[in-house]
Amino acid sequence: MTTARGLLHRLLYFIRRDQYLSELEEEMRLHAELRAAALHGAGMSADEARAEARKRFGNATVIAETSRDTWGLGTLDQLLQDIRFAARRLRARPGFSVPIVAVLALGIGATTAVFSAVDAAMLRSLPFPREHELVALPMVTVPFEPELGERSLGRQLDISDVAEMTGVFSGSASYASGGLNLSDPDRPLRVKAGVVTAAFFTTLGVTPLRGRTFTAEEGKPRGPRATILSYGLWQRHFGGAPMLGKSITLHGRPYTVVGIMRPEFGFPDECDLWVAMPVPTTFSTFEPFRGYLPSHAIARIRPGVSTESAAAQVLARWQQVAEPARGQRRDDLNGDIREVRRTGAAVPLHRELLGDRRRALLVLLGTTALLMIIACANVANLLLSDGAVRRREIALREVLGATRPRIVRQLLAESVLLAVSSAGLGLVLAPVALRVVRAMMPQSLAAIAPVQLDLRVLVFTAALAIATSILFGLWPAIGATRGGDATMMIKSGGGHGSTTGLGKARRGLVVVEVALTAMLLIAAGLMLRSFQRLMAEKIGMNPNQVATLETSFPSSIPGAEQRRIIDGVVDRLSRQPGVIAAGAVNDLPLRGGGGISVAIEIPGAPPLDHGEPRFARFLFASGGYFDALGIAKLRGRTFSPRDATGPPVAVISAAMAEQFWPGMDPLGRYFTFRPDTTHITVIGVVADVRESALDTPPWPQMYRPIDVGPLNVAIVVRGTLPARALMARLTDAMHDIAPSQPVYNVRMMEQVIGASVLPRRTNTTLIALFAGLALILSALGVYAVVAYAVASRARELGIRAALGATGADLLALVSREMVAVVALGIMAGLAGAWAFSRVLSSLLYDVDPRDPATFIVVPLLLLLPAVVATLIPALRAARVDPTQVMRAD
Amino acid sequence: MSDPIPPGTLDMLILQTLARLEELHGFEIADAIQRTSAGVLQVEEGSLYPALQRMLMKGWLSAEWGKTRDNRRARYYRLTAAGRKQLTRERESYQRVTFAIARILQLAPE
Repeated sequence: MTTARGLLHRLLYFIRRDQYLSELEEEMRLHAELRAAALHGAGMSADEARAEARKRFGNATVIAETSRDTWGLGTLDQLLQDIRFAARRLRARPGFSVPIVAVLALGIGATTAVFSAVDAAMLRSLPFPREHELVALPMVTVPFEPELGERSLGRQLDISDVAEMTGVFSGSASYASGGLNLSDPDRPLRVKAGVVTAAFFTTLGVTPLRGRTFTAEEGKPRGPRATILSYGLWQRHFGGAPMLGKSITLHGRPYTVVGIMRPEFGFPDECDLWVAMPVPTTFSTFEPFRGYLPSHAIARIRPGVSTESAAAQVLARWQQVAEPARGQRRDDLNGDIREVRRTGAAVPLHRELLGDRRRALLVLLGTTALLMIIACANVANLLLSDGAVRRREIALREVLGATRPRIVRQLLAESVLLAVSSAGLGLVLAPVALRVVRAMMPQSLAAIAPVQLDLRVLVFTAALAIATSILFGLWPAIGATRGGDATMMIKSGGGHGSTTGLGKARRGLVVVEVALTAMLLIAAGLMLRSFQRLMAEKIGMNPNQVATLETSFPSSIPGAEQRRIIDGVVDRLSRQPGVIAAGAVNDLPLRGGGGISVAIEIPGAPPLDHGEPRFARFLFASGGYFDALGIAKLRGRTFSPRDATGPPVAVISAAMAEQFWPGMDPLGRYFTFRPDTTHITVIGVVADVRESALDTPPWPQMYRPIDVGPLNVAIVVRGTLPARALMARLTDAMHDIAPSQPVYNVRMMEQVIGASVLPRRTNTTLIALFAGLALILSALGVYAVVAYAVASRARELGIRAALGATGADLLALVSREMVAVVALGIMAGLAGAWAFSRVLSSLLYDVDPRDPATFIVVPLLLLLPAVVATLIPALRAARVDPTQVMRAD
Repeated sequence: MSDPIPPGTLDMLILQTLARLEELHGFEIADAIQRTSAGVLQVEEGSLYPALQRMLMKGWLSAEWGKTRDNRRARYYRLTAAGRKQLTRERESYQRVTFAIARILQLAPE
């Protein structure tokens, strides 16, 4: 009866069992009556006939049962019975079943979530056709029209050079992600703009949903202004109305909508729309950015050309275009070429986008795997302890006539029930865990590799959990059925003699658990110390009680007008009650996305190695900015309103003073921007501000007064008001002065910092959380083993007590062994952590991966719960009452 | 006195009876077997109904509720095509076996 039809029949019978039973009954009743009538007709009395008919029918219930068996309901019935029985047993012992389900569910949920993230970021291919052909070309620039005169003089490799390498690449493009203001009479909007060269879409191999991508004409300087909308913006802002051929206003200029992309495409950076990047670029190309063009170059390798060969040819081309340069410029270019050689001239796009998050994700994956192993070991341990106790019950049931298959089936039902409930709960936990893990995804992959719950992983981890619980859940059944003489077991009070093997297995599991836990704890300890060091780092500002917003001016608004707006807003804010200071800066620290550095010449200063220029971060700030953000003023003064129009001055950071004028007083000294010769005088020194990332030591920084239109600006205000009120003051002031100017990123400075450390914080929190869970699991494992040892040795302990052993003797007896086991586990774990320390080193900040303090604290931290877990059952042993134990047997 | 049905032949007898009489309910099947065998073979009610259920499951029979002559509800069984094939198979094997047994019995002790 293995055919599908047979199965279907069975299922049908199962679902409609009541109907079938009543039909069968009716059929049999008719039969009995007809038989009685026949017998009556043959001369029996009516009563006799009925009795005879019943007799010949035999036991109707048995017949019904036999028929039911033919429907296949017998097995199903028994199975249901087994499951009900198992559920009852598990409910009756929550101390046993709840930890197992919780542990496995956590393991399944966490593993699934983390692996899903790793899968999205690292394993799944990018959603572009033949994505293996796509490479990133580090340091390849976009030619700049005002500099074109220098093009023949030796220069950086640019995207036009790459476009000529048609033998290597079938397509190449540059892209950058920035922001633009989308004008709208009702609600001006800041949109994320992908600024891309015309061949961007064809290089990636993507096609639009509607319309077309950019033409070569649109990719030229002063070509027709065209834009392509993302599906999201089209739906959200334009309600999905027909847009092709319509005009929208970006940064005060009309753009024609020529296409709409498919919903799943948002590269780069989940952008809302795309505009063409002209090649060569012009000044107007820079509008969506903060003073520089953060462009990336990509290319598609021709089939048959290897990545290595492509990289070699790109490098050769680099050297070729740099060749004519002489002097300083040649030195600069040689520096670039060294950098390209270091990173690789052509890198698989996927790896480039993943960046440094690769290591963090792998470490997290490893941590999760360890946790899952510990969870399984722990469940195995609990099941084995339980099984050892249950052998006696099993033997008893066998004596009472239960068949072996039935006993095995019942144990199986229990294991499966445990595993399935865990898997179910894990399924609920996984999406929650996933939301947390998502914070670790690299931003560059956000739009093209969405993290989805990976069902395959869920199935795999659930299968692992089920296998563990079945294997170790059945162990006692195998042992018991193999053990032979069941009566022996009952008599000897729990089959004490045969448990040494089990004991060994369980002690082995504890060693593994403790060792892995020690490794996890060390990893967590190092991560936590890193985070603590990082947060304790002097970041050069005081982010408490500071609200910020950002805005971006189109170049159609003259610089003077931009300055009037900024000054007006800052002025209005600083005169309000509850406000301590207000100011403006073109580039807010830690907002992400880099800024501009410029080469500086210090007259009379010795040249650096390789003739490299001195670079400093170039910022525009108003005088109130330093007070508003709490940047300490170390020497001299900051800007006054007159500085914007007077002789050029600058405020520099402590690092800049230290590096460029070592041992000197920088006040009153001056520098120039290469190749300009205007002297810029230093009027003040302020603290170093961590601005690109919290874990990156600051570059030399240089502030200039807001003397030209800054295009992009952050307004910063410090006050005594609650956060919400402070942010409202800020947006109100901005709205009063420039109602049509869209603002974005209205945040407290602490949020800005929080967002910048979110990946690290998430990683640290997860690893610490996993280590904490592992610690609990290990303690539970230790407890289970000792508790079982005490229970199974009760008689022996009783005899010892009767013979005069003190409580302390008994305590020592049962805990001695466990101390050795835990110590062994800790040693193994420390050795493992020591061996693997290099894996973690790149994730640490200012902490040695073999940090002695961590390696000392962790064993103690692990020992404490282990001792408690040993002592609780061991103390029970110490209080053994000999008479009680003897009587119990 | 009637004999019990030899083991393994009940299915064949049911199939054969239905092949001959087309549509019968349980009691009629038992009755028909008993009468056709001139009272030699008696179907045990205890095995008839499980057998009918089993044969339904195997698809040899189909069943439908109908009315008896005196207007009572009864389940009527019919042979399906698969049942007819099965009958042929069982008859063949039965004949082979009985032939073989008969051969053995012919070689009576001398």
